[in-house]
Amino acid sequence: MGGRDATMVLLDENGIRCDGRKVDETRRIMIRAGGLKNADGSAYIEFGDNKILVGVFGPRDVHPKHMSNTDTGILRVRYHMEPFSVGERKNPAPSRREIEISKVIKEALEPAVMLEKFPRTAVDVFIEVLQADGGTRCAALTAASVALADAGIPMRDMVAAVAAGKVADTVILDVNNEEDQAGQADMPIGYMPSLDKITLLQLDGVLTPEEYKKCVDVGVKGCKIVYELQKKALNDKYFGNGGD
Amino acid sequence: MASVSVLDELKKAQILELLEQGKRVDGRALDEARELTIETNAIPKANGSARVRLGDTEVICGVKIQPDRPFPDTGDRGIFMCTAELLPLSHPTVETGPPQPPVIELARVTDRGIRESHMIDVSKLVILKDKSVVGVFADNVVVDQDGNLFDACSYAATAALLVAKTPKWDWVDEKPTLVEGEETPLPIETIPVSVTMGKIGNHIVVDPNGDEWASMDARVTITSDSNGNICALQKGGSDGFTQDEINQCGEISVKVGAKIREKLKAAQSGSQ
Amino acid sequence: MDNKRKYVIPGDVVTTGPFRPEQNVILEGNKIISTTIGISEIYDDSVRVIPLTGKYIPKINDLVIGKVISHTSLSWELDINSCYVGFLPAQDVFGRDFSAHADELSSKLASGDLVAARIANFDRTRDPLITISDRDLGKIDSGDLVKISPSKVPRLIGKRGSMIQMIEMATNAAVTIGQNGWVVVSCETPEGLLKAKKAIEMINEKAHVANLTDQVKEMLEIKDES
Repeated sequence: MGGRDATMVLLDENGIRCDGRKVDETRRIMIRAGGLKNADGSAYIEFGDNKILVGVFGPRDVHPKHMSNTDTGILRVRYHMEPFSVGERKNPAPSRREIEISKVIKEALEPAVMLEKFPRTAVDVFIEVLQADGGTRCAALTAASVALADAGIPMRDMVAAVAAGKVADTVILDVNNEEDQAGQADMPIGYMPSLDKITLLQLDGVLTPEEYKKCVDVGVKGCKIVYELQKKALNDKYFGNGGD
Repeated sequence: MASVSVLDELKKAQILELLEQGKRVDGRALDEARELTIETNAIPKANGSARVRLGDTEVICGVKIQPDRPFPDTGDRGIFMCTAELLPLSHPTVETGPPQPPVIELARVTDRGIRESHMIDVSKLVILKDKSVVGVFADNVVVDQDGNLFDACSYAATAALLVAKTPKWDWVDEKPTLVEGEETPLPIETIPVSVTMGKIGNHIVVDPNGDEWASMDARVTITSDSNGNICALQKGGSDGFTQDEINQCGEISVKVGAKIREKLKAAQSGSQ
Repeated sequence: MDNKRKYVIPGDVVTTGPFRPEQNVILEGNKIISTTIGISEIYDDSVRVIPLTGKYIPKINDLVIGKVISHTSLSWELDINSCYVGFLPAQDVFGRDFSAHADELSSKLASGDLVAARIANFDRTRDPLITISDRDLGKIDSGDLVKISPSKVPRLIGKRGSMIQMIEMATNAAVTIGQNGWVVVSCETPEGLLKAKKAIEMINEKAHVANLTDQVKEMLEIKDES
């Protein structure tokens, strides 16, 4: 993550960001529950120019058997980017970045999923990034949560995610690609709205103690906005024609 | 869980019984392909892309075009490469890890179908002979499976290549340098179309769906070009075809291929 | 929808107060929270959520449709559309004098065969035990398999069987419904078979719709006797 890029204006004198947004505005978000025929649950998200598809299988048998747990089901997450999802064509083999993000997302979902009722099984979450534009892990986590609910995996709460950040000494919500490259800080946050718990948190950049608190606050508020769209996606699929 | 889906015997018997009467479970004629939808530029940031649905089989292809070093013995030609990957979310039996023989076959057959037809004139993709050429990569990812991934990947890659725009690079200061604002379509010579036929008992069916794929004894994928010439072929499965059957398949592939070519052309002009 | 029933998603608070949490809800502090997508129901002193999605979880005595996946010399393994594989011991079919040397399992049931079966025993520590030894159980020789979501099975059956009886009478089809969401339909006429299958698929797609019964009636062209 570099320092300030002198050629790009990330925040103008009217408080407008490089893509026309205000400091507390998210990009356009669209979430759809379901869509895949073979997966047990699925979801598709467009978060700005990010396009991410998630498929869930499970609970199902674990192979090899020695990986299964006799007391509880296990959660497995694979975050993967297609070769055509980024500027320069990416090798299909998993990179260290993808492996780390897979782990971070898994640990963001584990507090939510309840797998004690399914010993000796696994729930597999497959995240495929079709097009990337900054904040893929937050978009992926958001969609994964919807896909898990779509599959009927018991969960204590949904997990919604968005990144807060800092450009031009100002705390912003939902960091896009340019802001991530040229800005001053990027803080992805994953949050469970009913239980009021943060389950994903990372930081890149330098924040004063006040900015740190402000970022977390802005991020949590942003997650609540994202949560409403998760709710809408599930409502549209399951409660389509309104109330009973 | 078994690594191969077990088709229930009732379904298999039903498929064969209907075929004896010249019918298929989903009501199609034996030489009829499923509904094909092609959405071009599904991935706007790639140089070209297409999302294809063939029945419930779904494939997304993204084309990336970037400068590359030429192969040692063909310094006067650009590079073309087509790949295919089964995403684990496409079917419960797909395992993560290095690709298995069936997926490798899928990728290589898709690549050959396009390469052998000379769809792209790679001699026009040279930046500096022997030093720098344009590399065109068509990467297919299978997102949902219901039989006949061969044709779905072929159509996705072909459609993506038809709408792809290649940037221009000049050789400046010993390296390829992007020339802004000059994007052109790829040099396209022909439109290859693959048609896959399955053999179930003594019957040949075009575009087998998932249940038919699990019931068939053998299959053949035949690719033809815009002139009606056959340019690539792959037989698969553990049974064999008679000579008559192979000839029949050749004719069917050109006939059915012509209809599908019209859909690819429509998708190409629809995106302009 | 009356105020005792609500659409909920995971994390939604169904109610607060001194209620007993039953299926698909948990107690957090004094809040009763749904753990799944579904319809919440509050009874006198308990709360539950009826799920609208999710795999089949075996229950003892449930009737299920299973598919033979494989067998050893002592038992068959059945796919019962659950996270666990069903276990059918050879003695259940061959009787107590079963002999692994003399009796060949595939002579009775082979891979790919469908069976109507019952869950004989199940707890989380072992795979569900299956039996096919009752009169109305056993290998299914004919019929079409239709797969619906297990959560839609109660809707397909209807109050005291009213929905499925309506379909059977209107189409002359015989329908065997597995609690695991697998349904076998057989009919003498292809038209009746097609109609019955369409009705089942319609219920699977529109289970949450209020006037579903009327829509199904209309599709089956049932005239009201009024």
